[in-house]
Order: sequence, then C-alpha cells, then structure tokens
Amino acid sequence: MSAIVLRAERLEKSFHRGIWPRRRKIPVLEGATLEVRAGELVGLVGENGSGKSTLMQIVVGLLPRDGGEVDRPGKLGYCPQQPMVWEKLTVDEHFELFSRAYGMNDEQRLGTTRDLLAELDFDRYREYRVEELSGGTRQKLNLALALMHEPDLLLLDEPYTGFDWETYLRFWELSERRRDAGMGILIVSHLLAERDRLDRMYELCEGRICTC
Amino acid sequence: MLSAALPTGAAFLREHLRAPLTLVLLVAIPAFFVLVFASVLGEFATALGGDLAQRAATSISAGWAAAFLSGTLAFFQVSSSRGADRRLALAGLGSWRVATARIGAAVAMAVAVSAVAFATLSLRSGVEHPAHAAVAILAFALIYIGIGAAVGAAIRSPLEGSLVVMLAFSLDVFSGPRMTSEGGIAAWTPTRDAAELLVAAGGGMASPAADWLAVGGAAAGALAVALVAFWLGSRTRG
Repeated sequence: MSAIVLRAERLEKSFHRGIWPRRRKIPVLEGATLEVRAGELVGLVGENGSGKSTLMQIVVGLLPRDGGEVDRPGKLGYCPQQPMVWEKLTVDEHFELFSRAYGMNDEQRLGTTRDLLAELDFDRYREYRVEELSGGTRQKLNLALALMHEPDLLLLDEPYTGFDWETYLRFWELSERRRDAGMGILIVSHLLAERDRLDRMYELCEGRICTC
Repeated sequence: MLSAALPTGAAFLREHLRAPLTLVLLVAIPAFFVLVFASVLGEFATALGGDLAQRAATSISAGWAAAFLSGTLAFFQVSSSRGADRRLALAGLGSWRVATARIGAAVAMAVAVSAVAFATLSLRSGVEHPAHAAVAILAFALIYIGIGAAVGAAIRSPLEGSLVVMLAFSLDVFSGPRMTSEGGIAAWTPTRDAAELLVAAGGGMASPAADWLAVGGAAAGALAVALVAFWLGSRTRG
C-alpha cells in the first residue's frame, strides 16, 4: 500500500460572526477525518457552504483549527479557489517568485515554467500582467504555481473555475498523469458528475465526512 | 534570509510602481500639500489656538504629504496582497521573509515619496537646513509605514481600513505641534518630534540631540510595528 501523504483527523472549526450581543458561533467542521495516499486522485464534495474550502485551508495552513490533527509529510502544492496572485506582476514574475520560495534553481525554474506553459497552453501570456489576463488564464497560472515543484501532495480547490471545455479536459489529463507518477491529489468540487474520474471520494455533510 | 527577501521586495516595489495613479499621486499630493494645504493648516492652527507660522506650516506640510502617501501605500500593501503573500509564505518563503520583503518595498517607497515631498518644499520656499529637513520628512514617512501596516493587519476591509488611516492622519495633523494650545493629545502624537524637527529645519534652526533621538526611536518603533503587521498579514498556521 502506498504512503500516506495527508492525514487529517477529527478536524473542528467554527467561525464567530457579528458583534455582541448579536455575536453568533457558526460551526463548520465537527470532526472531519480524511486521508490521501501517494498515487491517489481523491475528491472532496459537498453542498455549497458545507466547509470544503475551510477544510482545505486548514489542511494547507491558511486557517487555524479549533481541534484535530493534520499530518502532511512531503512537499505541498496548493491551488486556491480564487487565484491568490499579484495583479500587477507578470506571469513570468510569478513563476520567478514562487520558484524562489520552492527553493528551485534557475535551470529548474526555466524547465518547469516552459513545460507548464506548454501543458496548460498559455505560453503567449508569459509577459502579461495578471490584470490583463482572462479569468481562465488566471486560473491556469493559479494551477501552474501549485505544480511547479512537483509536490508530493496537491490540494486543488475547485481548480477549473473559468476553464473552457478544452482546458477542462486538459486539466484532468494533467491530474491523471501526475497521479500515475505517484502524486497524491485532493480535489475539492461541488460536482458529483466528476465521480468517474476519481479513485475515491469524500463527502462533507454537516461538518463530518459521510460515506459516498 | 536577505537573499530571498531582496528580490521579492523588488518585485513588490515593481508592483506599486506599475500603478499609474500611484505615480501621479506621488507628485500631485506633495504639490497639493505644500502649495494648498499649508495655508489652510496655518489658518486652522490660528483657529485652534496654535501659533503655527506660515513658513512652518509650509515645511510641515511636506512631512504630512510623505506621511499620507507612505501610510496609505503601507496599508494597501497588507490589505490588497494578503492572500498572495500568504500563499508565497506557504510555498516555502516563510512569513518573516515575506514581511522583510514588504518592509523593504515600503521603505523604498517612503524614500521616494520623501524625496518628492522634499523637492516640492525646496522649490516652493527653500529650506535652510536641507539635510535636517530631508531626514525629518523621511521620519514622517517611516512612522506612517507603521500606522498604515498596523491598520492593514487589523482591518481587512479596504474601505474601512483606509478610513481609519485617514482618521489617524487627521488626528495627528490637527493636534500636532503648534496646531493647538498646549496639552491634550498633542504630546502623544507619533510625529510630534519629527514635526518639531521639520519646523526647526525649515526656519534654519538646529534641533537638540534629544529630538533626533526621539525621532529615531519613533521611526524604529514604527518599523518594528510594521514588520509585525506584515508578518501577521502573511502568517500561516502549522
């Protein structure tokens, strides 16, 4: 059996909204548990507001958790739902900044950048600033930044928002290739229609994982 | 740490300089403050019981211009880039390196806005002690990096945050040295010593060492606050 690249156990999270006396506690996660192994393409589905993105952000380390444990040995790649990029920097400048953060040298950066630009078909936009890109091309950059360093665990939060059909298909091919090469991938989605493409699927119901 | 933070800071600085409106405001705001705001400030001082002379008001306005620009830019550095900065920290750069890069970009912008404000002041009325005035104007800008970044870390909404920066700025301006009769909150404003230094430099007077030390302390303290604020803006959770 392949190695576990993500184990999240009994995750709990509530948000507090409003100002006293109208302050309310909104529980989102109430003991959610899941795991992903190397070479698996796993889905995380649930209704709008079920806590999928919250769970993802806790696993990544963008949100603190109220309870539970997260263990993710190995390199992490994260593609957020909304592109987290700088509007006035170019595509190439993003690759440069992230390659430095990932500890890649120039040769690795140039090779990876070339390959990803070709794989996602947006090579012609490399000198464009993010503010000049369409929503779909921004999303390609968003995804490419998560893939640059060939992570052991790839977390994708509705990564194909804004993709056209061709790009959508290319995205799944890309994910399957990486899964076959041993990457563990967790994809957040609200589309049950993608079930056939996944090795396994978790569903979030009322803050817990329910069997699909 | 610096080998990664420096090029990242340069990228953050480029990001600011690519906003055409920022570049226009970089020139327009010092011109407005020194040429228009200064005379209004003098009249306000008289109405509030202060004794801010017109020449002193002109000098101090250059400091306010640098403070306003620097504080606003620092606020938006935290407010508008929080998500991307966190992602970069998460990718392996780390929150402290991102914060250091942000401080580098903010200080570079502060130097630029101070240079423009100083040049505007020099062209308008001349400065008796140019080196002293330049340092005092830069101190205004550095102090407001701390204020802008702290507000950005505490308040997520760009509208509400920028209003709070404006409120802090207005309180500071209208309760600064010689703006009101003695007492009140004037003794506690962060730019009080920098303002004294700038007024003295504009009038050709040297300032005592204690004032320089106080200004240095205020600027260093503000940068420390800013570093923590930038760190808060980009921090990740284990």
